[in-house]
Amino acid sequence: MRVRAIVLTGYGLNCDYETDFSLRLAGAESHRVHINELIPGAVKGPVKTLEEYHILVFGGGFSWADDHGAGVLMASKLKQHLGDQIERFIEDGKLIIGICNGFQCLVNLGLVPAFEGRYQERRVALTYNDSGNFIDTWVRLRINPKAPCVFTRGISHLELPVRHGEGKFYAAPADIDRLIENDQVVIQYADEEGNAARGKWPLNPNGSLEDIAGICDPTGRIFGLMPHPEAFNHFTNHPDWTRKREEALRRGEKTVPQEGDGIQIFRNAVDYVKANFGSP
Amino acid sequence: MKNDKAQNLNNTMVARLEIRLKQELKDAEGAGVRRKAREYFGFDVKEIRVIRVLTIDANLTPEQLELVRTEIFTNPVVEESSFSPLAREFDWLIWIGFRPGVRDTAGSTATEAMEDLLGVKLAPGEAVYTSKLYEIRGGLDEFQVRRIAGDLLANDIIQQWKIYPRDHWDDQEGIGFPIPKVVLDHEPTVQTISIKSDDELRRISRQRNLALQDRDIPVIREYFLRQEIQEERKKLGLDLPTDVELEYISQARSDHCNHNTFRGRFRYHDLATGKRETVDNLFKTCIEAPTLKIKEEKDWVVSVLWDNAGVGRFDDGHYYVITGETHNSPSNMEAYGGAITGIVGIYRDPMGTGKGSKLVMGMYGYCVAHRDYSGDLKPHLHPRRLLDGIVEGVRDGGNKSGIPTPYGLLLFDESYLGKCLVFVTALGIMPATIQGESSHRKVTSPGDLIIMCGGRVGKDGIHGVTAASETYSEHTPAGHVQIGDPYTQKKMHDFLLEARDKGLISFITDNGGGGLSSSIGESARFSNGCEVYLDRVPLKYEGLDQWEIWVSESQERMTVAVKPEHLEHFMELSAKHSVESTVIGQYNDSGYLKLDYKGKTCAYVRMDLLQADFPQWEFDAQWLPPEMRGLVEPVIDEPDEHGGLLSSLLSRPNICARNWIARQYDHEVQGGSVIKPLVGAERDVPTDAAVVRPILESNAGIAVSQALNPSYSKIDTYHMTAATIDEAIRKALAVGGDPDHLAGVDNFCWPTIEYHPERNPDGKFKAAQLVRSNWALRDYCLGFGIPLLSGKDSMYIDGNLEGPYGERRKVSGLPTLLFTICSVIKDTRLCVTMDAKFPGDLVYVLGETRNELGGSEYYQMMGSVGLNVPKVDVAEFLPLYRAVHSAIQEGLVASCHAVSRGGLAVHLALVAMAGGVGMEVDLSLVPTAGELSTGQRLYSESCGRFIITVAPENRKRFEELFSESKVGCVGKVTEAPSFVILEAEGKTVVYENIFSLKKAWKGPFGELI
Repeated sequence: MRVRAIVLTGYGLNCDYETDFSLRLAGAESHRVHINELIPGAVKGPVKTLEEYHILVFGGGFSWADDHGAGVLMASKLKQHLGDQIERFIEDGKLIIGICNGFQCLVNLGLVPAFEGRYQERRVALTYNDSGNFIDTWVRLRINPKAPCVFTRGISHLELPVRHGEGKFYAAPADIDRLIENDQVVIQYADEEGNAARGKWPLNPNGSLEDIAGICDPTGRIFGLMPHPEAFNHFTNHPDWTRKREEALRRGEKTVPQEGDGIQIFRNAVDYVKANFGSP
Repeated sequence: MKNDKAQNLNNTMVARLEIRLKQELKDAEGAGVRRKAREYFGFDVKEIRVIRVLTIDANLTPEQLELVRTEIFTNPVVEESSFSPLAREFDWLIWIGFRPGVRDTAGSTATEAMEDLLGVKLAPGEAVYTSKLYEIRGGLDEFQVRRIAGDLLANDIIQQWKIYPRDHWDDQEGIGFPIPKVVLDHEPTVQTISIKSDDELRRISRQRNLALQDRDIPVIREYFLRQEIQEERKKLGLDLPTDVELEYISQARSDHCNHNTFRGRFRYHDLATGKRETVDNLFKTCIEAPTLKIKEEKDWVVSVLWDNAGVGRFDDGHYYVITGETHNSPSNMEAYGGAITGIVGIYRDPMGTGKGSKLVMGMYGYCVAHRDYSGDLKPHLHPRRLLDGIVEGVRDGGNKSGIPTPYGLLLFDESYLGKCLVFVTALGIMPATIQGESSHRKVTSPGDLIIMCGGRVGKDGIHGVTAASETYSEHTPAGHVQIGDPYTQKKMHDFLLEARDKGLISFITDNGGGGLSSSIGESARFSNGCEVYLDRVPLKYEGLDQWEIWVSESQERMTVAVKPEHLEHFMELSAKHSVESTVIGQYNDSGYLKLDYKGKTCAYVRMDLLQADFPQWEFDAQWLPPEMRGLVEPVIDEPDEHGGLLSSLLSRPNICARNWIARQYDHEVQGGSVIKPLVGAERDVPTDAAVVRPILESNAGIAVSQALNPSYSKIDTYHMTAATIDEAIRKALAVGGDPDHLAGVDNFCWPTIEYHPERNPDGKFKAAQLVRSNWALRDYCLGFGIPLLSGKDSMYIDGNLEGPYGERRKVSGLPTLLFTICSVIKDTRLCVTMDAKFPGDLVYVLGETRNELGGSEYYQMMGSVGLNVPKVDVAEFLPLYRAVHSAIQEGLVASCHAVSRGGLAVHLALVAMAGGVGMEVDLSLVPTAGELSTGQRLYSESCGRFIITVAPENRKRFEELFSESKVGCVGKVTEAPSFVILEAEGKTVVYENIFSLKKAWKGPFGELI
C-alpha cells in the first residue's frame, strides 16, 4: 500500500527536506506541504486536507521565529485553523510525530501528553535550556521498552543530534510521576552505558527533568522528541563515522552501512500504517 | 493614565502585557546576564529575572486582550502574566526597549498571531512593541546598575533604557506605556541641486552627504549640462539634477558598488631596487584574467565575475554557488545587529544568483582585539562584548535561517581594536536547468515587471555614517544600524525557490548596499531601461523622501523580474508563503532609468551614463622590503623546557579551543552533515574543513575551508597571501578535497591606502602591500589552478579611538585576507578526519620544514616578528598534494591534518589529543631544509605540510605514493596517553600527558557556553 506522509513547511520551519527524504527512505510517499495549503481560504484553488495522509510530521525549525516561546505561535495557528482536522486524524488512529520545534508545537497544542485522551490540554512545557544558550550536540538516548510508542518499537538505544535553545522538558512533579507511571516517557538522555544522564551536562544538554527527551500520548501513536532522527539519515552523519569506518576496515570489513540509525523511527511508522491501514 | 490602559498618540487604547517564568523555574536568561555581569565587571549579583513586555497599541476590547493573553502569550505550565506590573521584591529594575524604527520581529509576529486568533486586522499605525524588564537582586549601587544596563544589556544605538530603584517604583504605574513609534511628520519632497560650478556641487555634496567622488563631479556636471540632455529633461518637467538622481549616481559610483580601489591605477615604486611600474586595475589583472584563464581549463567553472556569486558544477544535475563578504563597520557599532544583518545579508546573494539557489551552508570569520583587553584606548564596544554580540548575531541569523554553519575562524589581534572584521560566507545549490533553461543565466527584458519581495522600506542604512551623528528625539528612527530578520527572509527564500521551479522568475537580485538604486539600476542594464513608481514601494512608515525610498538599505528584500503572464501565479505563491510582493515598475529598452512619484518624474538618467568614462582612482604605492624596514630574525637561545612551552603555546588565544562558538551554531540542519566543525574521540577538536552533502540522494559533497594569516603581513603581504591560499588548500585536501576542483573566494580587508601626510602617512606603503597581495593572489591561483568564483574587498579598516587624555589615536587593522576554498568530493564516504585513530599507527610528516618562523605564533609569544616568513613553492607542493589525494582515495589514510599556526609541535599534539591517544615522534626524522634547531623544527610554520597517520599494514603502498616527495615516517601513535618528542640520540624534548595538554588548550575559553 502507499503510505502517505505530510511534512509541514512554511513560516520559518526548516527541516522539511531531510525529514521528507528520511520518510521516503523509510518507504513512505512523502509530501512537503505549506501550512497555508491546508487552510481553507488561505490559498487560491483546491485545499489539501489531512485526511489524505497517514503520517503527520511537525518538523524542526523556528516557526514564527520562536518568538513568544518556541512552537507557541504555530500551535495557536494550527489550533485555530486545523484543530478539527487534527482531532479527526487522531480519532482515525493515524500517526503524528513532532520533532524539536514540532515537539514544542505538540506540547502547546496539548497533543502530548494527553492524559486520559484530553488532546487540548497544555500539561508540559519545553522551556529555555539551563545553559541559557542554543546547543548543537549529539546525545545518547535510552528508549523505554515498555512505552506504547509506535515509532520506537524494537529500538533499545539511539544516538541523535539535538539543536535547540528551548528543550528543557518541564512539568509539575505530579505530572512527571504520571508520565513515568504511564510509560509515556519514551526516550531519555543517557550516558555511554545507556544509563539515564541524571541531569549531567552535556549528556543531558538542556536540564530536562528526569532526562526526558521525548514522550508519547497514551496510545503511542503521537510522539514528540527534541532530538532529530531525520538528521541521522546517512552513516556519515554520525560524529564518529570516520572512526567507525576505520574500525570496520581493520576488522577486514570492506563496506560500511549507508543508512543512518534515525531512519528506523520513520520505518516503524510506515510499518505500523501498513499493518493497520493496509488491505487485509 | 490608568492602571492597565492608556491613551496613546492616536487616541486608541494601549495595553501592556507582562509575562514571566514562574518563580520555581530557573531563569536561564537572567542567569546568563548575571554570569556576564560577573565576567565583564566583577559584579556579584544575587539574582536576575526577566519579564517580557508587550505594549499593545491597538484598539482591542478587554475580552480580546484577555484572549490573546491566555491563548497566545502565556504558557500555563511555566509562565504567569498580567496587564498590571509584575515586578516585585527587586533591588533594581532595568527596562530595555527598542528605539523607534528598529526592527522588532517579535512585535511583528505578535501582531500576526493576534490578528489570526481574533480574526481582525490592526489598523494602520497600530502595532505591538516588545521590551524587557530585568529584576535585579543584590547589593548593587546605581553606578553598577547603570553599567549593566548601558554596557552589557543595551546598545544606545538601537535601544533605550531606564533604571528604577526599588523606592522609586510605582507598582500601579509600572514602566508606563513605551511606544517607540516612528512619527516623521514630513511631506516627501524632491529637491534640485545646483551645478553652477564644480566647487558648488562639491560643496553641496559634502553638505548633503551625497558622497560624490571629487573626480566624478566634472563628468556628472558635463552630463547634466549637455544640451540634448537638458532638452529631454525639460519635456518631463525636469531641470537641474534632483537629489534622487545624484543619490543614484553616488551609490553606483561608490567604492562599495564599483570597487574603485581594485579597479584603480597604482604607481608602484620599489624603493629597494628603484624600479617603478604602473599597475592598471588590480581586479582585471590579478582576479579577472587568471580566473578567465582557469575557466578555459576547468569545465566545472560555470559562471564567474558578473553575478551576485560565482557558480561551479556540483554534479550533472546541480550547480553550487558561493560568495563571501564582510560586515565590519555595522558590527563594530552594534555587534549583534551588525553580525546578524551580515549573515542574513550574505544569504541573499546566492538567492539572487542565476535564477536563485537554495542556501546550504554558511561560514564565519571574526577578527577582534583580545577578549580581555585592558589598555588605554576606548573602543565603541569592549572586544569582549563585541565578540559576544557578533557570535550571538551569527548564531541567530544562521540558526533561524535553517542553514547549517559548520565552519569558521576566530582571530585575535590588537590591531582590530579600531575596527573588528566580520566575514560571512554562503553556499547555495541549484538545479542545472529550470524548465529546460540553464539556471545560471538570467536577463531582464522590455515588458518584464519589476517586483520587490520581502520586507518593507524604512530609513534603514541611509547614509549610515552621517546618521550616527544626528541627535535623537523620542520618535526619530534609529535606522542606520539594522537588525537582520531571518524569519522574514526564510519565508521569502522558500517562496522564491518555489517560484523559480515553476519558471516564473526571469531575473532576480538582492537588495543590499544601495537598495533599489543598485538592484534596479544594475538589472535594468540588461533590458536597457526601466520605469519605477516610487510611490508604490511599500513603506514601514510614511514620510520618506523619494531619494530615501530609492537608496534605503532596508533588509530582507529581493528585486525580481517577472513576465506579465506569470504575475498572477507569482503573486498567488507569494500570498501562500505570507510574503509581501509588489509590482513597482517595469523594465524597458528606452535607454533611460526613469523614476516617478505620484505621477511626477523625479529622476531621468541615461543608462549609459554609468558606463561613461569616470576617472580612474589613482594611488601611490611605495614598497620597502622587510629587511630594509629593520626586520631581523630574533635572537633566541634554545629553550630548555619545550614541554612547558608547548603547553603555553596551546593556550594562546589564537591556538586554544574556542569550541563555545561552534557548539551554539546549528551545523546539522538540512541533514547533510559529513565532517562537523569539531571532530575526534571527544568531538572537541576543530576540523581542517567541513563537508556537507547538499543533495541527500547523492554521496557527493562539498568541502570548505578557510584561512587567515594577517601576522605574516607584518613582513610581506605577498607571502601572507601565498601562505593563506596554501593553508586553505591543504585544509580542504586534508578531509578528502579534490586538487583538481579547488574554487576560491578572496575577501580582502585593508586599512586605508590613500596617502595623506597627516591622516594616513603610511598610505603609500599600505597601497604597495595591497598590490603585492594581489600579485600573489594572481600567481598562486594560476599556480594551483584556482578560479576565484567570488570575492569582495572591504577597505578602511581603521578606527580613531579615544585615549585617556582626550586624544584620539588611529588604529589600523593588519592587512587581512580571508581565503576560502571550496571543493567537490565525489564520494564523501572516503572523507577523513584529523584525529589519530589507533595505537600502533604510523605518524608521517609530509613536506619540508624550513627555517620559516617569521610572523609565527612562537615568535609572537617571544615578542618578535622575525624576517623569515613562510613561502610557497607550487612546483614542489602540488605533486605532494596530488599524492595525498590519491592516498585518501585509496583508503590508506587513517587521519590527515594540515600543519598551520603554531607549527609541528602544536599540530602533532592536536592530532593526538583529538584521538585521545598518545604519540611518540622522533624530530630527527622530520624532513627539513638544511640543519634546523629543535625550536625551529617544532615551531616553524612552513607551508606545504601535512601530518598523516597510517595503519602499519598500509605502510608499503603509502610510501610508494610518496616516493618522489619529502616525507618522513616520524613515529607512532601510542596507547599510553603521553605526547613524547625525541631528538637525535633519543634525547627527550617533550614528555607531556595529552590530557594535561588538552586542559591547557581548553583553558582560556573553556568556561564559555
